[in-house]
Amino acid sequence: MDSKHIEALLEKYWNCETSLEEEQQLKDYFAQGEVAEPLREAAPLFRYLHEQKSKHITDVVFDKQVSDQLRKKPRGKVVWWTFNAARMAAGIAVVIVAGYFVRQEIRASYPEEVTDTYSDPKLAFEETKKALLMISKGFNRGQKETSKIKLFNQAEEKIQGKDKKEEATI
Amino acid sequence: MDLEFFETQVLPAKNKLYRFALRLLANEEEAKDVVQEVLIRVWRDQGKAEEVQNWEAWCMRITKNLSLDRLRLTQRRATGPLSENLEVHDQNGTPHETTERQESMQRINQLMATLPEKQRQVIHLRDVEGYSYHEICDILELDMNQVKVSLFRARNAIKAKLMKLNAYGL
Repeated sequence: MDSKHIEALLEKYWNCETSLEEEQQLKDYFAQGEVAEPLREAAPLFRYLHEQKSKHITDVVFDKQVSDQLRKKPRGKVVWWTFNAARMAAGIAVVIVAGYFVRQEIRASYPEEVTDTYSDPKLAFEETKKALLMISKGFNRGQKETSKIKLFNQAEEKIQGKDKKEEATI
Repeated sequence: MDLEFFETQVLPAKNKLYRFALRLLANEEEAKDVVQEVLIRVWRDQGKAEEVQNWEAWCMRITKNLSLDRLRLTQRRATGPLSENLEVHDQNGTPHETTERQESMQRINQLMATLPEKQRQVIHLRDVEGYSYHEICDILELDMNQVKVSLFRARNAIKAKLMKLNAYGL
């Protein structure tokens, strides 16, 4: 291939004035091995481009993997809804079970403070009556004491009444 | 689009998609995963595939978007050179020449990594894959002017560095 022609093409290439066909001519020239001295400068670039172009997927099962994926039918709407509903139900079930166990744990750590002391209702009634009588006795005693305070109040009122009369006469 | 068309027309484009994903992600496994995802998405979105004029460009655009999504998710940028084994497939040269060529390829690889993201994408699509300017506009969702400016800047940056490398070995 005429190196002068390639030189001219290369100059056009650097200025982005080449067509795809001309660029292919350049690639072919540099790929054939023998490169003229003035063109040596650009040779590594074209070798690099050539190497890049030769890269490919080496995985032999790649095509089969893709084809298998394509043949898989996408999930229908009913299946999709069922699948999502099942997922949500499973989530709710987990929350309920966890809540139940947490409640059990809390109950176990706080024992009930009020517990029945009598199993026989008659006995319980008698005991309650006793307790209420005791309270009423206490109330009665208190009432007696308050009657004494009443006497004091009456005496005080009488004294105050006398004082007012004396002030009026003066 | 039937399965036969997909397997004979779309699936063979996997290597182009893979190279583009690899350019963006700089990771072979991730690039392969993206290609698989793209192909499945194209198959499941058959209705849209019939609307698009250039399905290959459409696949490339999906590849770009999915790769950039991955980069965003992992909050990284594929700025580093590709972690690849740049073997020179040259049977004719001496071991010394082969090593020298391999080193120059590594330099080009590092040089490519220094280019801005957009320029790297444009130069890859044009110089490695051989897409027309219109197709690149379609894939990268850029206007013609942006594509041409990016390619011009990328090629000139490479040219300047190659000249420097040749003159001073830097």
